[in-house]
Amino acid sequence: MTEEPYRWLEAIGNRREYIREQMKGGTPVFALSRPEGILLVGVGQGSSKVFEIYDRHGLAALGHPVDIEKLRQVAIESAHVEGFNRSSKDVTLRRLISFALSTMLKNSFEQIFSPPFIVECIFAELGEGGAQDVLVRVHFDGHHHYETSGVLVAHVDLKREAEAADWLRKQLQPDQSLTHAAGLCLVAWQALVDEKPFAELTVPGELPKSIAGKTVEAALLDRKMPGPVHYRTLELK
Amino acid sequence: MNGDFLALLPKVSFPQTGASFPAASSHEPLQHLQATTVFAFHCTEGVIIAGDHRATAGNIVFSDKTEKILELDSHSLMAIAGSPATAFEMARTLQTSFEFYRRSQLQNMSLPAKIRALAQLLRNNLAATIQGFGVVAPIFAGVETNDPTATPQIYFYDPLGAQFEATNFAGSGSGSGSIKSILSYLERWGHPKPEEMSIAQAVTLANRLLMTAAEFDTATGGVHPDQRLYATIKLVSRAGIRSLSTDEQEHFWKETP
Repeated sequence: MTEEPYRWLEAIGNRREYIREQMKGGTPVFALSRPEGILLVGVGQGSSKVFEIYDRHGLAALGHPVDIEKLRQVAIESAHVEGFNRSSKDVTLRRLISFALSTMLKNSFEQIFSPPFIVECIFAELGEGGAQDVLVRVHFDGHHHYETSGVLVAHVDLKREAEAADWLRKQLQPDQSLTHAAGLCLVAWQALVDEKPFAELTVPGELPKSIAGKTVEAALLDRKMPGPVHYRTLELK
Repeated sequence: MNGDFLALLPKVSFPQTGASFPAASSHEPLQHLQATTVFAFHCTEGVIIAGDHRATAGNIVFSDKTEKILELDSHSLMAIAGSPATAFEMARTLQTSFEFYRRSQLQNMSLPAKIRALAQLLRNNLAATIQGFGVVAPIFAGVETNDPTATPQIYFYDPLGAQFEATNFAGSGSGSGSIKSILSYLERWGHPKPEEMSIAQAVTLANRLLMTAAEFDTATGGVHPDQRLYATIKLVSRAGIRSLSTDEQEHFWKETP
């Protein structure tokens, strides 16, 4: 079958549809570059969506829990080997994603006789200041882009994902607290899940801190945290 | 995926940790670098672990600014005596190993596993130890983070990797003989005993112990309160690791009778 090029293309097309179909139940995750550091927010039910990767690196992902786990382990292994071999400052998202993760995702996606990664994710790297923060949106096929606005959303529907990010950029101000910023993420999360249009979405008087029946996960890559490790989980109060 | 960083290294073609050396030759003995003196004891707030700043090569003072108390993670550290080259590499391996385990397994490594990990590295260093260079005799201090009631513990090792828990104190390096003698005396007849001392008293005692050791051991040095040069001192407690700054040590030095 694969000897015929058009069949291979068809198989890849089918694969893309299959992954999108499998991802349908996934809910969005968020990364915001804030004065305090990089805020990662996800809402799950049972399995985690927000993870520490290395001293200044975090991951927020949606998709199949097993694939998220595989991606997480590869990222952690690559980062630690690089950090051990050279130094923690040599562990950068640019190298991690270009040389380890996106290549693996693309290969996995295009090898049609092996299962693909069913995952959409955001990788974050904390900088000295907000201008040096790096946010990268990585897709299941290895495609990725670097986001410079400091706001990044990962969702199944890419059009809605962009709308949510635009809405968040308009709402966020540098002087708002982390709890406020996380609350805005939860408003956007609910709108994405309920398929509400963002043009009509207003900020409620009291921002949510939880979602009924779900577990809200928030973590901060903290700019001011002493020592080499900057990742800490946040409780929204 | 078991969170074992040492098992990961060969998979990525990284040389195994631990030295492998050819048989000793009949050449002149190598004047290899040595780091002394470190010790640890219990006080009311946790475990004080301290060291001087001197590294020597034979009768040469190689450096008076060596850091010998190395943090391995948020709740454990190691004090090194012996060959700094090997000891620094061991510390770096353990730092990466502990964090790798915590991040990949989403839980902290237990204290017994951390203690064994250091023993394993010492054991891997057997060839260098037998030949008399690259010898490391460390002290480990840490708290079991998986048990909210756990208190800090001190372990010391022989260069082949055997581990021993120190109930009151431990010392290593050429100046540790004097220090252990004084600590032993204070444990029996001290008022207060080291374990009853406040942080201020314990920090001042640590500096005085190193100054005393330096009187009898040329390889111990670098503590001169009159020049604002104090020991490297860290406190391990349930709250984590706290480094005692020069300002704090000076304050305690002046305030403690």
